[in-house]
Amino acid sequence: MAIDEREVIRRCLAKDERAYRELVRAYQAPVTNLAWRITGSADDAAEVAQETFIRVLRSLASYDPERPFRSWIFKIASNLSLDAIRRRKRRPVSFEDLSDEDGPTIEPADTGPGPDEGMRLEWAAERFEALVIELPEHYRAILHLRYREEMPYEEIAETMGIPLGTVKVRLHRAHEFLRRRLNARGTTP
Amino acid sequence: MKANLTCETCERELIAYADGLLHSAVARVMDQHLEGCARCRATLEFHRAVARRIATLPAIEVPAGLEERVIRAMTAPDRARARWTRFGAGALALSFAGTIGGLVFWPSLAKQWGLPDPASALVRALDTGVEGMIAVPKRIAVDLTFYEPIARQFLRSMEALATIPRAAFVSLRSPEAQATGLVLLTLGVALYLILRPSRRQEGGIGHACLAL
Repeated sequence: MAIDEREVIRRCLAKDERAYRELVRAYQAPVTNLAWRITGSADDAAEVAQETFIRVLRSLASYDPERPFRSWIFKIASNLSLDAIRRRKRRPVSFEDLSDEDGPTIEPADTGPGPDEGMRLEWAAERFEALVIELPEHYRAILHLRYREEMPYEEIAETMGIPLGTVKVRLHRAHEFLRRRLNARGTTP
Repeated sequence: MKANLTCETCERELIAYADGLLHSAVARVMDQHLEGCARCRATLEFHRAVARRIATLPAIEVPAGLEERVIRAMTAPDRARARWTRFGAGALALSFAGTIGGLVFWPSLAKQWGLPDPASALVRALDTGVEGMIAVPKRIAVDLTFYEPIARQFLRSMEALATIPRAAFVSLRSPEAQATGLVLLTLGVALYLILRPSRRQEGGIGHACLAL
């Protein structure tokens, strides 16, 4: 981020309206996009983004400056996104509670694309996106944080409140899920 | 050459390898394996393509007016507080004006309505207030003179307790001793409550006890 986070946070704590604006401007795009990727709904994402900033600004005093601010704000956004899904589906969801069993399993027989399977087909972006939407929400979140936000595994673990090993497993399974789906369609990403 | 690494192990590490997160020694072994394994190379290419695709997926526009809505929500309590402050200041000014008006017009209105003279009423109120204020410390002082010797006696008896052998305390552990202690305590409290009202009456039992 281009802003001096510590300074902006200090000013936010002093209830400086301009600092509030700076913080919102710096994070509104990544927070909205994360919420959109998790919820899959633009309306939910807008609502989640607004609630995230209000919560962040109101509870800024409890933020530990030793930890990355981005992880903290994304954690709040992720939890609110899951709440939005929960409201929609009316069933409990949480990153910590989500078992890896509910995701796609890796089948040992599936050895992935062979050397003959080159880049035969280039899928249109919308078709790949439609495939990503089929992923469970915790896999979508992990792919987004890793490849869109370029977060290291440790930061993803902190953001999602899961162990480092689980981050690796979920990332692997998300890839496997996509690979199996793409193989079934005889194509590559 | 596939080096000393199976395809299964290699595949497990391929994502971290593609992300450049492996230790250099492990990455070197992976390099060697990938050099001789077309299948793992294809899988690696797949992981890289997924990463590229995810990174370039279309982004959503920031919701219109998000910043303003957040700022409004954040400053709303301050605005409410400012409104209450204004209201409080208005009420204070009004009550001040009312007091001044009362002081100016009350004497003539009191005369007109046959009410007591406000000046003498004020003096009476002050007198009652001062009397009340004096009465409280007076009562406390009287009570202190009553309780002070009792407190002294109590402290002395506590000091005396220190001289009682430890065995006496040990015996208090038995239910019989505890019951006896409870009865004695109850009797003591009852005696105090009986004696207390008569402590100031000359010839009263409380007074006589205190004289001792």
